This record gives sequence, C-alpha cells and structure tokens, in this order.
Amino acid sequence: MNKKIISEKKSQGLHDAANAALMLAVFVGIWEVVFMLGIWSKISLPSPAMVAESFYKITLNLSLPESVGITLGRLVAAFLISISFGTLIGLAMIRFKGFGKTLNSFSAGLLSFPSIAWVPFSILLIGFNEFGIMFVVIMSSIFSVMISTYSSIRNIPSIYMDAARNMGAKGFTLFRYVTLPAATPSLIIGLRQGWSFAWHAIIGAEILMSIVGLGHILSVGRDFLDMSEVIASMITIFTIGLIVDRFLLYKLEDRIRKKWGLDHHR
Amino acid sequence: MRWNKLVQAKIRTLFNRIIITLLYEFDSLCGHVSEYILSQRLGGSCFQMTKLQAKNIVKHFDHNGNSVLALDGINLDVQEGDFLCIVGPSGCGKSTFLNIVAGLEKPDSGEILLNGKPISTPGPDRTMIFQEGALFPWLKVIDNVEFGLKMAGIPKEERRQISQRYLDMMQLTKFAESYTYQLSTGMKQRVAIARALAMDPEILLMDEPFAALDSQTRDLLLVELQLIWERTKKTIIFVTHNISESVILGNRVVVFKNRPSKIKKEIYIDYRRPRLMEDENLQKYYHQILDELKNEVIAQIKDENQ
Repeated sequence: MNKKIISEKKSQGLHDAANAALMLAVFVGIWEVVFMLGIWSKISLPSPAMVAESFYKITLNLSLPESVGITLGRLVAAFLISISFGTLIGLAMIRFKGFGKTLNSFSAGLLSFPSIAWVPFSILLIGFNEFGIMFVVIMSSIFSVMISTYSSIRNIPSIYMDAARNMGAKGFTLFRYVTLPAATPSLIIGLRQGWSFAWHAIIGAEILMSIVGLGHILSVGRDFLDMSEVIASMITIFTIGLIVDRFLLYKLEDRIRKKWGLDHHR
Repeated sequence: MRWNKLVQAKIRTLFNRIIITLLYEFDSLCGHVSEYILSQRLGGSCFQMTKLQAKNIVKHFDHNGNSVLALDGINLDVQEGDFLCIVGPSGCGKSTFLNIVAGLEKPDSGEILLNGKPISTPGPDRTMIFQEGALFPWLKVIDNVEFGLKMAGIPKEERRQISQRYLDMMQLTKFAESYTYQLSTGMKQRVAIARALAMDPEILLMDEPFAALDSQTRDLLLVELQLIWERTKKTIIFVTHNISESVILGNRVVVFKNRPSKIKKEIYIDYRRPRLMEDENLQKYYHQILDELKNEVIAQIKDENQ
C-alpha cells in the first residue's frame, strides 16, 4: 500500500519533470525559429546555441561561478542581517502597541517601495562598496520580515493564547512554546517574500554599483554588446531563484504545513 | 462485501452499547461501594466546603463604542465536588462569567475567591475546556496533554506517565503520537479533557465544550464526563445553552437572565447517575428550565429587533 503511494508519487514527479522539459523544448524551439526568421540581428538576438556557447565560455573561465558565489555570499549575509533586525523590530512592534500600530500603517508604502530607489541613497551614504550593496538588499527585505513578524504574531488565534495562559504559561515560556510555533507557518511565508525582495534588490544593486557579481556580468554584457552573455546570466539568475525557492524555502514551508495539517482542511 | 460491512457496523454499535451499559453498572456499583466506605470512615457525616465564590461580579462590554452592561452583580457559591451547569440565552454573558473565573478577563467590580483566596490572573488551578478544544496543532496529542505539566515544571518522565494515564482514561492511547488534525472533533474534545484533567486542577471550567459535536458523539461524551466526574470528584462549572445537557450533567443548574445578566433561578437535580438523554424522569427538570429560559429568549429576540 505504502509502496504504491510512493511509486505513484514518483511517477507524478516524473510526469511533472517531463512536462517542464516539454515546455522548455517548445520555448527554445520558438526562440530558434524567431532567430532564423532574422527579424533582429545576431547581435541583438543570438540563437540558443550561441547562448549555450557563451554560457560554456563564462563557466570555463570561472567568471560565472565566481560571480554566483560572490552574489550569493552578499545576499546571504545581508538577508541574515535583515532577518535578525526585522524580527527584532517586529517583536518591538508587538511589545509596544502604539509604535507597532503606527509603523504598521506605513507598511504598504514600505513594502511596495522599489528596491532600486535605495541605490542613489546608498551610494551617497555608504559608497560604491560591498556595504553599499548590502545596504540596498537589507533595506529592501527588512520591512517584509518586520511586517510579517508583526502580523503573524498578531493574527495568532486568541484561543491558543487563552488556553496557554490558562495552563500557566506566561512571559518567555509563553513566547517560546506558544507564540513562536503558532506564528511559524505565516513567518515562513514572510521569509519567502523577504527572500524574493532581497533577490530582486541584489541584482539591481549589482548592475548599478558593483565591479563583481551576477548583476555585474549583466552590465558588462551590455557594455560589450554581448547579448549571449546577458542571456546566459539571465538564465543563471532564473535558475538560482527557482532552486532556492522551490527546493529550499518551499520545501520548508511544505513540511511545516504538513506537520500542522494545514493542507488537510479543504 | 458492502452488506458484510453493514452487518459489521451494526454488530459494532450493538457491542458498544452493551459495553457502555456494563460500564454504567460497574461504575455506579463502584460509586456506591466507595461512597459507603467513605461514609463509614467519616462517621457518616458528609461535610461540604465552598470551593469557589463569586462576589457581586459586574462586567461591561464595549459594543460599537457603547458600554453595555453584561454581568449585573453575579453572586455564586460552588461547593467542593459540585457539578454546576450555567444555562442562558446565547450572548447572555455566561461565557464571560466563566472567563472571569478563569482569570482571562477582569471584572469591573466584584471578586472571585478560590478556597477563600481572591484570584485575578489565569492559573492552572482553574483549567478551562474551550468550545473548539484549543489544542495546539504543532504538538502531538501526547505533547498537548503534557503541555500544562510542562509549564508547571514537572520532569519529563513523570509528565509522560501522567499524560499516558489520562490518554488511557479517554481511550486515546493509540493516538498519542498523532497530530491533532488527524483526529475527529469528538476525539479532539476528549484530548482537551485529558489535557485539563492531567493538570489536576482544583476546578474544571467547561465552555460549551460539546456544542460543535455531532449528536452521537455528544451523547457518548455526556456519559463519559459523568463517569469522569464520579471517578475524580472534581468540581466542575459547565456552561451551555443546551438545556438537556445541563439536566443530564448538573447537580445544580443556574439559569442566567438575558442581558444585563443576573442569576434568575437555581434548580437542584438530585437524580441517579449516569443519566441518559432518553430518561423520561428528567423531563420535568427540562421543562422547569425551559419555562425559565423561554421568557429570556423571547426578551432577547425583542431586544435584538429594537
């Protein structure tokens, strides 16, 4: 019985992978056809094969792997800072109600604020360096973490808190054993959103401010009229975004949802 | 195949019925025996102690900016080992009163005394069972039952033992390692009862705990709760809007008046246990309470239409 379910799951996974491959093939096919029609010049729109060659080239001379490493390093460092401070401010918003309410009323503006708009500010304040880039990333993701901390704790059904207090939980114990686990599913969603904001921000900031990194390869490609390199970098950015979200954050969220039984309330 | 299943189900229900009947008999027998022994030991005297006292509880609500008087001076004494039911029209403030006893809400004036001492904060000595069970979905069933004990700082080994015992008592042993979403509503409510009992509270507060259950499950739990009460001799305050429930469960039924709430009537029900839904002899109590409540419900509807 169990084996059957597992094998069914496996075949479902295979099926999905086959569909994805098919869609990719169709996309590349259309691209190839458009290329052969010759609407744009080779420089403006290279063929898939040319992009693959460029991809191979920048991988082999290590400029691509190096850029990916640097970008991810910056991103992770900045995002960790974002999480720690965002969570702290979020908790302060819970603790000091007036402050929380006021700050929350600005949340729409803070969340929709375009990350690129931080770049000039960051350049003038900090300069063209690592910290300048990280500043942009932090500012772009910290509000999402902050607001999601605030709202996920505030939206905990009061009955959980009542029940816990009724059983003698208070202070830090109440926070550790009830508030935190009760808020976890929506905290994870906030984390995912913050991550995606950070990812947007770092590429933008690197295009404008950096001398190394994925965004920088894009801007070099533009400067040298190397469309193949631009597209190869874009594909890399797409793939990394997909992998991190699907295979890390989504998996995490899925596991928590399963454990909570959230997928069972249809 | 299908036929077979139907027969099986029939046999199972029949079997359950027989077991329940046997349980009743056994339990009431045990009750009589232990009562007899107790009365012998105590020299035949049966003294009672006031467990909980509510003194002139007043509470206002904020309703669209207007202050509405919800509880208008509730005075209530609950004896040790009493099974008190509070009935009243919905929205009459009976749940608010229970929350005040639990310490989850504060009265505007008046005080609650537990064993003669005033209380103001929530505490594990007054355990509440909520309508929706309020189990924690991130914990396994057994960890849910252990939660209060953990908060009380009881070591892990002992916690496990106690919670295991109460899970056994509620016939949930098999589900100790399940998560709550895997349980039916009735099972969840049994877990909630186990969780409350595990803390060995002075007094058990129940806020319409069976309101969300289907009628078969509720009938079973009504019997189970009586057996538990007889076994543990806990003081229970049970809030409900369901008259039959109050008649089956209560030694004493308190009828709350519509807003502003006051105690309108107290009815003592001295009748053998476990009482069953179908028992004809309970009808007269039922009608007595219904008569009291009817006017209140009519008054409430008038109130709402104004």
